[in-house]
Amino acid sequence: MKTLRALFLRLGGLFHKEQRDRELAEEIESHLQMHIEDNLRSGMTPEEARRHALIKLGGIESTKESYRDRRGLPVLETFLQDLRFGARMLRRNPGFTAVAVLTLALGIGANSAIFSVVNAVLLKPLPYENGERMVLVKQGAPRAGFPDVSFSVPEILDYRAQNRSFDALVEYHSMAFILLGRKEPERVMTGVVSWNFFDAFGVKPLLGRAFRADDEKTGAPAVLLLTYEYWIRSFGGDPTVVNKTFTMNDRLHTVIGVLPPLPQYPDQNDVYMPTTACPFRSDPQMMANRSDRMMSVFGLMKPGVSLRQATADLNSIILNAQRAYPDVYPPSFDVGAWALSLREQLTQNARTTMLVLLGAAGFVLLIACANVTNLNLARMVKRERELAVRAALGAGRNRLFRQLLTESFLLALAGAALGLVFAQNGLSLLVTYVARFTPRAGEIHLDGTVLLFTLGVAVLVSLVSGSVAALDSRGHNIGNLKEGSVQSTIGIGRRRLRSVLIISQVAVSFLLLIGAGLMLRSFLKLQHVNPGFEPENVLTMRLNLNFTKYNTDDKRRAFYNALLERLQTQPGVLSAAAGMTFPLIGMDPMSNDFTIEGRDSASLPIGDFRVVTPGYFQTLRIPLLEGRDFTHQDRQDTPPVAIVNRTAAHYFWGTQDPVGKRISTDKGKTWIQIVGVVGDVKQYGLDKDASDEIYVPLNDSPVMGASLVVKTAVEPMSIARRIIQHIYEIDPDQPAARVQSLEQVRAESIAAPRLTANLLGLFALLALAIAAAGIGGVMALSVSQRTHEIGVRMAIGAWPREILRMVLGQGVVLTTVGLILGVLGAVGLTRILQGLLFEVTPTDPLTFVGVGAVLAIAALSACYVPARRAARVNPTVALRCE
Amino acid sequence: MTDKADVWQGTLALMVLKTLETMGSLHGYGIARRIEQTSGELLSVNYGTLYPALLKLEQEGYIASEWGVSDNNRKAKYYKLTRAGRKQLEKEAQDWEQTTAILARFLAPSEES
Repeated sequence: MKTLRALFLRLGGLFHKEQRDRELAEEIESHLQMHIEDNLRSGMTPEEARRHALIKLGGIESTKESYRDRRGLPVLETFLQDLRFGARMLRRNPGFTAVAVLTLALGIGANSAIFSVVNAVLLKPLPYENGERMVLVKQGAPRAGFPDVSFSVPEILDYRAQNRSFDALVEYHSMAFILLGRKEPERVMTGVVSWNFFDAFGVKPLLGRAFRADDEKTGAPAVLLLTYEYWIRSFGGDPTVVNKTFTMNDRLHTVIGVLPPLPQYPDQNDVYMPTTACPFRSDPQMMANRSDRMMSVFGLMKPGVSLRQATADLNSIILNAQRAYPDVYPPSFDVGAWALSLREQLTQNARTTMLVLLGAAGFVLLIACANVTNLNLARMVKRERELAVRAALGAGRNRLFRQLLTESFLLALAGAALGLVFAQNGLSLLVTYVARFTPRAGEIHLDGTVLLFTLGVAVLVSLVSGSVAALDSRGHNIGNLKEGSVQSTIGIGRRRLRSVLIISQVAVSFLLLIGAGLMLRSFLKLQHVNPGFEPENVLTMRLNLNFTKYNTDDKRRAFYNALLERLQTQPGVLSAAAGMTFPLIGMDPMSNDFTIEGRDSASLPIGDFRVVTPGYFQTLRIPLLEGRDFTHQDRQDTPPVAIVNRTAAHYFWGTQDPVGKRISTDKGKTWIQIVGVVGDVKQYGLDKDASDEIYVPLNDSPVMGASLVVKTAVEPMSIARRIIQHIYEIDPDQPAARVQSLEQVRAESIAAPRLTANLLGLFALLALAIAAAGIGGVMALSVSQRTHEIGVRMAIGAWPREILRMVLGQGVVLTTVGLILGVLGAVGLTRILQGLLFEVTPTDPLTFVGVGAVLAIAALSACYVPARRAARVNPTVALRCE
Repeated sequence: MTDKADVWQGTLALMVLKTLETMGSLHGYGIARRIEQTSGELLSVNYGTLYPALLKLEQEGYIASEWGVSDNNRKAKYYKLTRAGRKQLEKEAQDWEQTTAILARFLAPSEES
């Protein structure tokens, strides 16, 4: 209590200083007078009386000083005083201040920005109420070639009925449906889920209500929940959308609510509906067939259940099923099921990249810090006299130390503030970038945690850069004043300290440049991968037919054929085709097992099946290697045919010619003859190998959803509108989605590595610039301090060339040592990048040599300017200036 | 003068409080003189240290001050004990007695083995 009271009074003591000082002076004066009177009375002379009184008091000023210390809070007061003084010093050196603040702002800003990502994506718990208990359930038979298969309805029912570890097991799949009732037909990505899907996650709707058990009963009225993003995008955030009805799949669907803005996984959907509203999922055959798998399953673990326990529980259920249904799960299969942490699933793609970026940002900060320390050291030299005067006037070492620390704290704080401005400006770009790795990107903000982190970084930076300079200033103090001149040489210790800073800057820059260089090389390799097709001048769009309208194979065939026939004759169109999918669009494989005629059917081979129309290979310029292409004569009433890619031909038939061989997808009931072999394409990514592809004609399997690919003679996007018009002319209710050129698709597929390379490159360039500026600055300072020495050297016969070489030589030594350390560090550190690199080893010699050369050139150019100045020193002027 | 003991930190506060209890209201110089006199001139108070000590006691609420006029018509700041100061004095005096008693036992010549 009394300490607190005293503290408040002392805080109060910081104000009304003049009045309090006056009172103190009066009190001491009256004290002295009384003492003097007493002394006089005891017989002293007036002078003696006064002298004695003063001695007894112990000096007026020092009494006042200790009184003032007690009155206010000396620590705070000196801090404020130091702040004021520091601010004045910084204002008086605008050049130094600007460079230091900018350097720190870049370093700190980079860290704040990347930390805001790491914090949101990797550190914070999932934003769902039950996020930490949610798991993704997987099943498969990895050693039989099925690492991850979807779930069928009977399987989900098994898991739900038999498990003991889950409070809820909910299912999910996503489909594109057509939503009618707005101006234009709209293709909406629809998440089809169990009624308690959102309850399991702990997500409450923003508007309206969530699904109820009744909504999932057979025959229940169809209902929809809108996602926040779709609601904003398509309805402008109109709250009256609740209770509105729209037509989907020939049924009226009522909007019952809007979901809050939360990350969606695994897909970004527009709307959600209960399973009974999905025409595919509610098909009785689908519901009865154990092998008809298209669902994902999420589980809410009971409190206290571990992933291991949940996995064991799930595993025993699928093993039971294997015993009960040997025809579905061959006994030779190593079936299994797993519970995987949802949080990890959501963020695993981002982890390595984000941590690498955080490390890179940390390196940039290190370099910035070293630079500011060097600047501080340089300034110390100029301030030596000031510090000496202050020390001579009685400032203690700790007092000076504190003063210097306060100054560097001011600098760091200003840097942090500016850095936050940079971070805030770059944040939206960063969010779009991170969204390529994780659905959690929307959670990135410069929130309290990030601000605290930034402040922490600023304090750390000021401690490091300030204390190095301040410690260095010790011991250089009073002696310098005596000599009465500006010092012309600097101590060995200080020079060594500066060299260490330069070397570490070079080494760390090298690390960053290597990281960026490797990513860039890897990206260039990716970009030059031959995809197996020609992406130039191809327009693509996604068509999902209205399931209720095109409810027979014939109707679907008719639609596709009519559309393609129309498009072939359009001006600007070279050829047009349709396929269930096309390369690099990011679709899941359509793996199916099949029988090869004349071979044992105990363990069936698995192929990646694709459905295409005639002209597909020609449109994408996929080379036909053997046999023939599909033609319009391959119809549903002619014997079925197929074309395999080169990988499949090799894998299934080895050296034999597959053309003429027959396969079956229905265990031999009908046989499909292979009529051709085409080249491999990079279907799933430029960095992925081709799969075993088997193409069948669309006429034989008229799929509901297909992509249109059109080879154009002109810029593809320029005729997109016209082509969509043709679709509307055939069916006004048929939307076209994801309209983009194949070039865009290809660029998009490598956008993530490209942006990572760019970001790392940006950091590396920052580092290079800061380091080069640092080296140049230190060399310039050293030259200006050695002017006298250089003058002497020249006076006794040194050539300018020799001076140039001497100064440059100093730079070369520092840079070389830095490079050697950098190489050693890089060999150790770049292994972290392994997983992010494509066809580039982490110790790629070309990158190492190239980066080393760039860095050496930059460092030496930075040294060259001061070296030139040194060489031009006029000896007479230099000698006179002392 | 040289063989006079300096006042230890901490005990000065106790002496000030005790002095004010005995004397009622008193100014700084008076307090200093009084302490010296009470100690039988054995203690020498560095007058300069007295004022920060008075300020500390005032901040802690044990004494209060006001400006007054001295016997020989001089303006001076007078200090007096507050209620909290009285209590504190009691407590500190007790503590002090206890401490000295303990120390005395240590320093006393040992009586047995």
